[in-house]
Amino acid sequence: MKILVPLKRTADPDNANKIKIAPGGAKVVTDGLEPKPNPFDEYAVESALRLTENGTNPKARLAGDSVVVATFGAKEASQTLRQALAMGADSGLLFEASDENLDGDLVARALAKVVEREKPDLVVMGKQAVDGDSNQVGQILAERLGWPSATFAMSIELSQDKKSVIVGREVDGGVIKLKLALPAVITVDLRIVAPKSITNHVTPQTHNYQEGARYAPLPMIMAAKKKPLAEAPFASLGVEGVKTSYVKFEAPPARKAGIKVKDVPELVQRLRAEAKAL
Amino acid sequence: MSGGLAPAPFAPVARGVLEFRPMIEWDEMHLSMRDAVRKFVESEVKPKRDALEREEILPYDILRKFFDAFGVAEMNRARGESEVRRAQKREEAVARGEAPPARAKRDGPDPQAGLELAMRMIPVIEFCKYSPGLITALGVSAGLTPNAIISKGTARQIERWALPLLTLEKVGAWAITEPGSGSDAFGSMKSTARRDGDEYVLNGSKTFITNGPYADTIVFICKLDEGNAPSERKVVSFVLDRGTKGLEQSKPLRKMGQHSSPTGELFLEDVRVGRDRLIGESEEGRGREGAKETFVSERTLVAAMALGIIEQCLSLSTEYARTRIQFGKPIGEFQLIQLKLAKMEVARMNVQNLIFRQIAMAAEGKSMDLAEASACKLYSAQATMEVALEAVQLFGGNGYMSEFHVEQLCRDAKVLQIYGGTDEIQISQIARTLLARG
Ligand SMILES: Cc1cc2nc3c(=O)[nH]c(=O)nc-3n(C[C@H](O)[C@H](O)[C@H](O)COP(=O)(O)OP(=O)(O)OC[C@H]3O[C@@H](n4cnc5c(N)ncnc54)[C@H](O)[C@@H]3O)c2cc1C
Repeated sequence: MKILVPLKRTADPDNANKIKIAPGGAKVVTDGLEPKPNPFDEYAVESALRLTENGTNPKARLAGDSVVVATFGAKEASQTLRQALAMGADSGLLFEASDENLDGDLVARALAKVVEREKPDLVVMGKQAVDGDSNQVGQILAERLGWPSATFAMSIELSQDKKSVIVGREVDGGVIKLKLALPAVITVDLRIVAPKSITNHVTPQTHNYQEGARYAPLPMIMAAKKKPLAEAPFASLGVEGVKTSYVKFEAPPARKAGIKVKDVPELVQRLRAEAKAL
Repeated sequence: MSGGLAPAPFAPVARGVLEFRPMIEWDEMHLSMRDAVRKFVESEVKPKRDALEREEILPYDILRKFFDAFGVAEMNRARGESEVRRAQKREEAVARGEAPPARAKRDGPDPQAGLELAMRMIPVIEFCKYSPGLITALGVSAGLTPNAIISKGTARQIERWALPLLTLEKVGAWAITEPGSGSDAFGSMKSTARRDGDEYVLNGSKTFITNGPYADTIVFICKLDEGNAPSERKVVSFVLDRGTKGLEQSKPLRKMGQHSSPTGELFLEDVRVGRDRLIGESEEGRGREGAKETFVSERTLVAAMALGIIEQCLSLSTEYARTRIQFGKPIGEFQLIQLKLAKMEVARMNVQNLIFRQIAMAAEGKSMDLAEASACKLYSAQATMEVALEAVQLFGGNGYMSEFHVEQLCRDAKVLQIYGGTDEIQISQIARTLLARG
């Protein structure tokens, strides 16, 4: 089975409070923030790796399985791809583009071209990028490909014959399970990296993964240098045209300082009288 | 120059003829390693820093998690196993009455060695930004202690004690310092081993021993008392297990900094051990030279610790200088504050260059001699202390408060001038080498 995982570099999400708005609200300025992989994309890489390995020997993909990672971005984004290769992905594709010339729709169309070339059985991606928070690429991609899709996955079970998946989605009051015939598109949420979220019928049921996306072991970082990473201009995909234009950016209003209450009775009284919450 | 082309002073060298690659910056692979380790440190060490500082948790679980997640345990096991095989070959040759095979020494460039050194240093740098004590505990447990066993031990000893230390399954301690003997480690050493039939009886006390309170495996360095004068006694080392009769491991000592590294005392009273615990199973253990080799690798690591502390102080200070407003402007606009930042940057560049030199030398198949390693340690330790003190000053009152962390780095930094040979000892070693060159 071949899995394609699209990746995006985002400005350090742990320091998101440091972004600024350019004068006039023309754009978001992220100067001085370290670029890091979008966390949900890292979870997608982790999911793809768990689907294609025996968890007791995470260094190797199962025979016949592979994971391809792809990104549209600046040349330096190859660093992000290398990180995914060091985690265990097999090959990387970088299509050089500048973020300003992309929107969710164009990225989805470009990904559809990548899918045409790479012919994966499954696309696993983050539910959204933490910079724009648009949450649309997975959905548009599935529509364009005419593939079934499941969004916000919190669990994935690959069938024994590798022809379908059962995806769990958290909803109010419970979990919905969707069965998808492959090929398909899945977008993942945070819980997908819990210790037992992924079942592939190879990793023993008793195996517990570490919570979160795996770290790249140092020897794998060295080995990743020899893995294939192809670079091409975005134009080579033959899609163009951004449909979204941003009118204006505004920083959220600064939050007012809260008040301190003496004791519980005062809290209750204020909640009742001032906040009218009770 | 007017008119035609001036002749080139030297014929240009065709590209590719010279394979000269000085190390001037971290390369892409180094940066990948740094990013991966940084992520670990930020998510596993940073949230636990306060608990480590208050000594509510021990360093070993975090370190084990790092060793497992980054494949270090596995790499170290492979290295340990190859040392066992090497020791076996040596023993077989000696049994046949042949000269032991010399340690394979590569001639010329060895890029792999350069990469391996970088791979050892990068985690040290990143961990020291938050908790230098973790590296002290780690360096002793998985470096100093197993290396002492590997460099002189038998195949059986390496397998039995060094392997579980290299993988961090066991915690190790290396004990040379005594209440009455520090810089003059061998001269004033009082700990003794006496032969008694097939066994040895060990006595003495050790202090300032990193991991002493929790060590499972202890390398105990002492003098063989054959009734001769102390200055003529041979230096020998033994491996002791936690819980051995007559061995007492103290509670952690209270100290200025390095709180994430437990330090303690050891007391030995008539501890009886077999010859199997005498490292090398020979009284001709080259005790003194063995310790010297250890010093070089210990000293080179201090530069990496120094860089971590300096980089962190500099980045915290720069941010603070940008955002702290006094007299209506950021304090970074005052020249006296700028001077501090500039001095920190100079120190950062110098220490980083020392590290690049070490890595480049390793890649060239060379290593520093003791005098250069000493100079390197001396400079790095002093620069770190100056930078950390300046950082506290730059933060003003906040610098003195724990919340801003520079006070911790400052207290942690001080030990770099004391352990692994004090500044004064490094200075005398450098000077002695210079004077002997004639
Ligand atoms: C946190 C910590 C962890 C440690 N971990 C270990 C460990 O794991 N194992 C271990 O065996 N030891 C360990 N040590 C001990 C350390 O190596 C010694 O403290 C160090 O070697 C100095 O010895 P001393 O403390 O006895 O000082 P002394 O040797 O008594 O020195 C006192 C002062 O005199 C100066 N001085 C001494 N001799 C000379 C001279 N010839 N010329 C000029 N000045 C001189 C020194 O530089 C120093 O300023 C540790 C120490 C610390 C603080």
